[in-house]
Amino acid sequence: MAHVFRLPDIGEGLDEAEIVEWFVAIGDVVVRDQALVEVLTDKASSELPSPVAGTVLSLGAAEGVRLRVGEVLIEIDDGSDTADAGVHPPPSATESAGDPVSGSTPRLADTQGSMTTARPKAAPATRRLALQSGVDLNTVTGTGPAGRITAADVRNAEMPVPASGSKPSTHPVSSSNDAGSQPLSNTLGQMPSGRHPLRGIRGVVARNMVQAWTEIPHIHTMDELDASLLVDFRTRIHSMDRPGAAQVTPLVIAAVAAARALRRFPMVNGHVEGHPGDAIVIPEGVNLGIATATSRGLVVPVVHNASTLDLFTMAERIASLAAAARAGDLTTADLAGATFTITNYGSLGGRFATPIIPPGQGAILGLGAIVERPVAVRGEVLARPTLPVVLGADHRLIDGDLAETFRRAVVDDLTEPLHLLLGA
Amino acid sequence: MVVGEVASPVDLLVIGAGPGGYAAALHAARLGRDVTLVERGAIGGTCLNVGCIPSKTLIEVADAYALTGRVGSWGIDATSTVDMGRVQAHLAGVVSDLTSGVSRLLADAGVTVLAGHGRFTRPGRVSVEHGDTVEFLDPRDVIVATGSRPIELPDVPLDGDRVVGSAELLSTDTLPDRLVLVGGGYVGIELGCAFAKLGSEVTIVESEDRVLAGFDARTTRLVERGLRGLGVGLCLGHLAVGTDDHGLIVEKTGGGDSGARVTLPADRIGVVVGRRPDANSVAMTRSGAKLEPSGHVSVDVARRAADGVYAIGDLTLGPALAHKATAEAEVAVDAACGRPAAFDPTTIPMVVFGDPEVMAVGLTREEAISAGMEPSSFRFPLGASGRARTLGDTEGSVTVVADAEGTVIGVHAVGGHVAELAGEAALAVETAATVEDLAGTIHAHPTLGESLMEAALGLTGRPVHTR
Repeated sequence: MAHVFRLPDIGEGLDEAEIVEWFVAIGDVVVRDQALVEVLTDKASSELPSPVAGTVLSLGAAEGVRLRVGEVLIEIDDGSDTADAGVHPPPSATESAGDPVSGSTPRLADTQGSMTTARPKAAPATRRLALQSGVDLNTVTGTGPAGRITAADVRNAEMPVPASGSKPSTHPVSSSNDAGSQPLSNTLGQMPSGRHPLRGIRGVVARNMVQAWTEIPHIHTMDELDASLLVDFRTRIHSMDRPGAAQVTPLVIAAVAAARALRRFPMVNGHVEGHPGDAIVIPEGVNLGIATATSRGLVVPVVHNASTLDLFTMAERIASLAAAARAGDLTTADLAGATFTITNYGSLGGRFATPIIPPGQGAILGLGAIVERPVAVRGEVLARPTLPVVLGADHRLIDGDLAETFRRAVVDDLTEPLHLLLGA
Repeated sequence: MVVGEVASPVDLLVIGAGPGGYAAALHAARLGRDVTLVERGAIGGTCLNVGCIPSKTLIEVADAYALTGRVGSWGIDATSTVDMGRVQAHLAGVVSDLTSGVSRLLADAGVTVLAGHGRFTRPGRVSVEHGDTVEFLDPRDVIVATGSRPIELPDVPLDGDRVVGSAELLSTDTLPDRLVLVGGGYVGIELGCAFAKLGSEVTIVESEDRVLAGFDARTTRLVERGLRGLGVGLCLGHLAVGTDDHGLIVEKTGGGDSGARVTLPADRIGVVVGRRPDANSVAMTRSGAKLEPSGHVSVDVARRAADGVYAIGDLTLGPALAHKATAEAEVAVDAACGRPAAFDPTTIPMVVFGDPEVMAVGLTREEAISAGMEPSSFRFPLGASGRARTLGDTEGSVTVVADAEGTVIGVHAVGGHVAELAGEAALAVETAATVEDLAGTIHAHPTLGESLMEAALGLTGRPVHTR
């Protein structure tokens, strides 16, 4: 009989997921626990295993489509009762001799409705092209009227993906800053000419950015601090022989400083709920999102309860999350619950930027690259390592004085890291 | 296996020369295959010889005869009589024109046609019996298109004289006075309308409480009204349980007097309760193929039933319709020739040549709703169609169904001549045309096709000839 599987609740409170890739097609025979589909919730992708063995009867949605929890994901016939497989019309009762149905005609309409809701919208010529090109139309997003799949869509789907590098190495690369500095694969900026459906991580990023950009009134406050003591602090810690010491970077130190400042100023750790605004939400704990570039796009793993962590634990936590992000091994929980985000564009050499606050948060801290700059020290111009710092804040929640005060608190700690010994 | 049997190797063997089989043979020959076609009956199969073609010819004859009765108001005074002998000669002429055309096409394509009964003896081997001779063939590929057989009722056995099937009814040269048809499906409706128009007193027996049970209730209502208008008696909710000297014994299936029996007087009883796949006559299971519980041959999307064996047409699940078989023929041959192939229609159109005619393509609004869609639909009444007025046939309507995005997912029509709209309707659904596509296509005036455009315009909120 046909088993109908619905999208399970696979993450903390997430109520929908995008179908990234089907590993099976209609008619495929699957075994129990075989991976059926990759789905993407927020920014974590998961593979869902088959709960039964059987034959795939139908797929609930095409790749790129978002399903809500509880919607039909897939139908699998486990062969336990093929007469009621859901796709075949029931055997005509008139088949068996003596069956008292004389005078009843088989219903033709039972078999005429071969359409299903999940059926790709494509003309016969397009379907033929797809068949000949080996393109599964369920994986193609139509760009024609009302989502119709055109021949061009099929040809685009057929185009080889640019040779993507193997998984980026997680081997730390020395650079001016820290663990956030990771050369991206050589696919950066590469995409074949043509029109591409916006989906996967890119689709999630797009939706989140539009929401953030249109719903949150941003202000940015910037400063550039003398990083001499910070660099010295980091160097001396590196020489320590204890776990986590080698992973301490300016980003890690900034994360500790930010967590400390967020404990002092809970409003910066909060956010405005609703659009234009229904409520201010101040979370209990500090969960730091660490923006991380990967070959598949930007992801933001979260260090939970960051204000309870010492410098070394924070260093280990951030290093392991960054490695998991690049390997694509993040879980949904790793990505959920951030209350404040730190973005380290300095790892790519940038100095100043105006980072965008993720929806559901009230502020973001941006770190630029540490470079030697002329600094006036007691009337003298000296070459000193400097670190540009930017705070982006939701102006609905955070006034200018709070933004400046918070930014100064972080800057003070980074300028004199001994402050970190003082605790929150 | 017979000891010493000598088999001839053949390249591609087609068993059955109906609309599936002959189309498969022609397509395979076009692709360069050396094709052998085995047929135990007549080239053209059920459709051309005893099904669609003679029935539609008879319906046309009946319509022409009936027309003389209703053109008085058009200014024509006509009387007419029917000579069934000459009607049969006409039917035979139409059938023969078509079947000889097919034979010529097969000959021109270089297809070897063997008269005989083909059946599998084991995987990879087919015997062909013709009279007392048996020939064995070892084909590289076999396409099986043996079609279907009428379902017979054990309680109402066919006797070839008084109790007959649709083929015998179509070839009758004596008009029955009182014809009882068992089965209110499309065959029963079509034959009932035709014989009623020709002058028979017709009663249709159906165990369901309505005819054309697979169609929506509104369609059924209009068809039943049409039948009653022709004087056809409807004996709904009754089972045919036997015959006696006077006619057919039927038994009520529900209500307070369930089980009550009555005899419907008849000098001819037609059993038209549907068809079942004919996999047995070809010993299908000996090919390595498997059967569905319904008796259909299990096939994959390319119509592959076993290694080197393909089944098409009425043998496979789906409606037993000639156009489905023809479409599957190309798929199976492509697969047998190593080309990518899949039978994957969005819809298989359905037409009923009753009075009124019925045309169904794709989903009805109700089917779409139960499939979880949010459809919209618009019904254009043929009374508002100029062409329907000129034809003197304004009963019925054309309904277009669209999904939430405006893609046409169904077209359903009841009325005179609406079967001819099936092509455009199927094209719209197959190509995922939008309502705007249909509405924005200029349709010739005055034609019934305008009704499709009008219904689509209605869906876009700008109907012209209706509200």
